[in-house]
Amino acid sequence: MRTRGGVLVANIIAGLALGFVVANIGFGDYAELNRMFTFQDLRMLLAFGGGVAMIVVVFALIRVRRTPGRVHPGVIPGAVLFGTGWAVSGGCPAIPIVQVASGYLPALVTIVGIVVGVRLCRWANARYFHLDVGSCGR
Amino acid sequence: MSNYWPWWAGALGLAVVTINYTVTTDRSFGVSSAWERVLQWRAERRVERMEAQFGDDRLLTEALASATAEHFGTRTGAPTPPYPVSGAAAAPGPQGGPATSEPAPVASPRPAPLVSQAALLLSIFLGGWLAAVTAGRFDLRLDMGDGFRDLVTDSPPHMIGVLFVGGVLVGFGTRLAGGCSSGHGLNGCGRLHPDSMVATAVFFGAAVVVSFLLWKVV
Repeated sequence: MRTRGGVLVANIIAGLALGFVVANIGFGDYAELNRMFTFQDLRMLLAFGGGVAMIVVVFALIRVRRTPGRVHPGVIPGAVLFGTGWAVSGGCPAIPIVQVASGYLPALVTIVGIVVGVRLCRWANARYFHLDVGSCGR
Repeated sequence: MSNYWPWWAGALGLAVVTINYTVTTDRSFGVSSAWERVLQWRAERRVERMEAQFGDDRLLTEALASATAEHFGTRTGAPTPPYPVSGAAAAPGPQGGPATSEPAPVASPRPAPLVSQAALLLSIFLGGWLAAVTAGRFDLRLDMGDGFRDLVTDSPPHMIGVLFVGGVLVGFGTRLAGGCSSGHGLNGCGRLHPDSMVATAVFFGAAVVVSFLLWKVV
């Protein structure tokens, strides 16, 4: 599964499963999201935290290779902006796709916003920040 | 809504997706970087063509280094530091920002091909649609639901504005931080990367603060 075709198949499987799981947890539902972030309902929080905990344990057991990662100056300001945007719009980069797929048509606007934001960051980084921000998912 | 999955099923689902991907491909996936790469498809295609031309990492590094040296007229002996292959398209301009002197992570795997990143985004759509239809939640509508109306705004023009600004913050923030809830949150925290754990704690904290403000104040 490490060839081009293999990665393509793996991405399709991961995308299908991620979309299915995220939608069924309720991440596309703004009311559920706000209840998670305000700790009124711990269900989604436990789903996310529990998922991360299982991944940590399994990755440790199967000794997953660790690629280097460092806290560069963009991490904290970037995360603050992202968290604010997520709480306001109800979308992280995957969720508006799931929202549109569930019939919430205005989430298309969130997607347009993400497209603009990604391009803006690239432009601002090349012009002003000059950060090697690295990238997950490589 | 009571027909969402219980927490343990959601946790299991997220874990299985991430672990399966990592075991089968020896990579991490990240939705925000998929966005970035799909949006920058021209530059990505150029890099992929170069990589195909130079099947070997070492040859590619040397060729890039000598091309750079030629461009600046500063040819030195050994091509050091190695040019960050995976970030070739994102490298800062020729002004020589401080970032250029950072050595690249040597052992990082090649980026997943562009087509597969686009496939990831499309598959998320399909998976989300399947979930909505099979659970009987699919409902074509022009609002974002009761929660958004009660907590944020009930005026459609304001809704459009809030969603757009929120989307820009998400797009800008995730790329500045180098990842999102899938790349940093699931994959990065799973691998106990310091930057991912800091990023996840901070974006979660910021979202908590803003959500409380929306719930209690606005």
